Amino acid sequence: MSSGPRIVCLGINYRTTPVELRERLAFPEATLPDANRQVQSLPAFSESVIVSTCNRVEIYAAHENESAHQQLIDYLVQHFQLVPDQAEALVCYKLDDDEAARHLFRVVSGLDSMVLGETEIFGQVKQAYKTALESGTTSRLLNKLVQRAFSVGKLVREKTAIQRGSTSVGSVAVDLAGKIFDLKTCRVMLIGAGEMARTCAQSLLSRGAQSIIVSNRSHDRALELAAEFKGSAMKFDEWEHALHEVDIVISSTSAPHFVVKPELVQKVMRQRRGHPLFLIDIAVPRDIDPTVNDLEDVYVYDIDALSAIAEDGRRERERQLAICEQLIEEQLVKFGITTPP
Amino acid sequence: MDRLLLILSTFAFAGAVVQALTSLKAGTWKESRWHWVPMLIGLLFQTAFLYLRGQDHGRCPLTNLFEVFIFIGWAIVLLYFLVGTTYRLSLLGVFTAPMIALLQALALFSSLDQSVPRERTAPNAWLEMHAAISLIAYAAFAMACVTGIMYLVQERLLKRHRIHGLFYQLPPIHELGKAIQRLIITGSLLLTVGLAASIPLHLPISNPKLVFAWTVWFMYLGVNLIIWRRMLSARQTAWLAVVSFIVPLVSVGIVTRA
Repeated sequence: MSSGPRIVCLGINYRTTPVELRERLAFPEATLPDANRQVQSLPAFSESVIVSTCNRVEIYAAHENESAHQQLIDYLVQHFQLVPDQAEALVCYKLDDDEAARHLFRVVSGLDSMVLGETEIFGQVKQAYKTALESGTTSRLLNKLVQRAFSVGKLVREKTAIQRGSTSVGSVAVDLAGKIFDLKTCRVMLIGAGEMARTCAQSLLSRGAQSIIVSNRSHDRALELAAEFKGSAMKFDEWEHALHEVDIVISSTSAPHFVVKPELVQKVMRQRRGHPLFLIDIAVPRDIDPTVNDLEDVYVYDIDALSAIAEDGRRERERQLAICEQLIEEQLVKFGITTPP
Repeated sequence: MDRLLLILSTFAFAGAVVQALTSLKAGTWKESRWHWVPMLIGLLFQTAFLYLRGQDHGRCPLTNLFEVFIFIGWAIVLLYFLVGTTYRLSLLGVFTAPMIALLQALALFSSLDQSVPRERTAPNAWLEMHAAISLIAYAAFAMACVTGIMYLVQERLLKRHRIHGLFYQLPPIHELGKAIQRLIITGSLLLTVGLAASIPLHLPISNPKLVFAWTVWFMYLGVNLIIWRRMLSARQTAWLAVVSFIVPLVSVGIVTRA
């Protein structure tokens, strides 16, 4: 006998399922309204919210069905037309009522994300809920749960430092650049075309950096990279002449000696007339003479400095994790959930 | 009664410092309107104090160094609300509040509040305008000094690779640099208006108050020129904003005692 509608969460994420299967199970945005309605129409199901991102696919549903988990698995297998091998490889987590609520609160707070404390998931769940709401597949139970989850997510962000700091070299570079310049007016120069330098440049451009110049020993590679970033390429023996025009330099050549020396930067800084210069040295052995950091308005960060900051960021977030979990437990009690995790 | 208002105001600013430091230490600082509340309370008490003093004197309450300090403190907080919201400079309040709390505490514990027996004469509008606007200009220079300190702290953190809580909370140095320039320009323009208001007073050129005011005006004219011509690095400009403030600060002390 059922004692009223219950909540279920069935999901896969980056921990349980490899990317090959995750991408197979992702719901394209346009199909979500129909998918929500399909779940809602399963026997004894009444509400549905599907969250589908690159790292997770989760179905939250209200139901009075004794075999809700199996129903949802069967739905996924059928919907994505999984072959028996894929269906067998499908490892889902199945959470009921209190556990489902606890899980959603953690997800919205970024505690279940690959990058601990990231905030993108909050917006993604919000969008998923909006889609379900517009599709008419939510009602009292899920509305209450999801809205409560948003309040908890906001509270965690406000009361803890879970989002503070950067956890990758690319994001550290962006954070530092943002504290020196208005990124929208920044011009970036890439000297050398190493993979990490490319990632850093990509991060800066995605955060609004104005333009990019690529200079590499292989000019073809420079042209290729410039085309990718919609920037311009420059011959390797010419970059020194353009140094005064850029604000951020990412250097990653394979030169065995310093490529950027204090004499050069001193000359450049006279031309820049008080505008700061941010030099990121990704190369090993280093490209930028560390004494350049002693010059006025010049900031030099090598790969060790950037990695140390990213590591600090990760440690700080892990320290905050216990505070966040405590906060979530308090909110669960307020929500009437007293079952311990 | 008026001194009680000032004590309450000082407690409000001290409270703002304690509140900010506690949340900074706990790593939970977020710039929000709630951090403005103690500053606003402090401003209201300051305003009430100046109002009562004004009523008492029948003119702008700038009769001794004590009142001048409080008036400058009041103008700084007023500018904080204007600049802090316009430029969204996080932590400006954290750097402003201790300055005001200290200024008022010093004023309260000193013997500066000695009222000079004066005949109650009709206030001279030009004189009051000259004094009040000049002091608001000095408050703008004080804010430029505070912003300069913030710039130097943030710059040092960047140079030394000390990327921790305070670094993330302090505004970007380019914003601080811009704010320094704007505050110095604002202060210079206000001081120009304040000095222009002294012309109808026909004061002798040797009047010490005018001599000091013109000295400050010329000095900041030089500072503006240096900034405009980009003669110094951004860090040196921040130092200039900090060090320059010593001149108006000292001149206020000398002039008011004179």
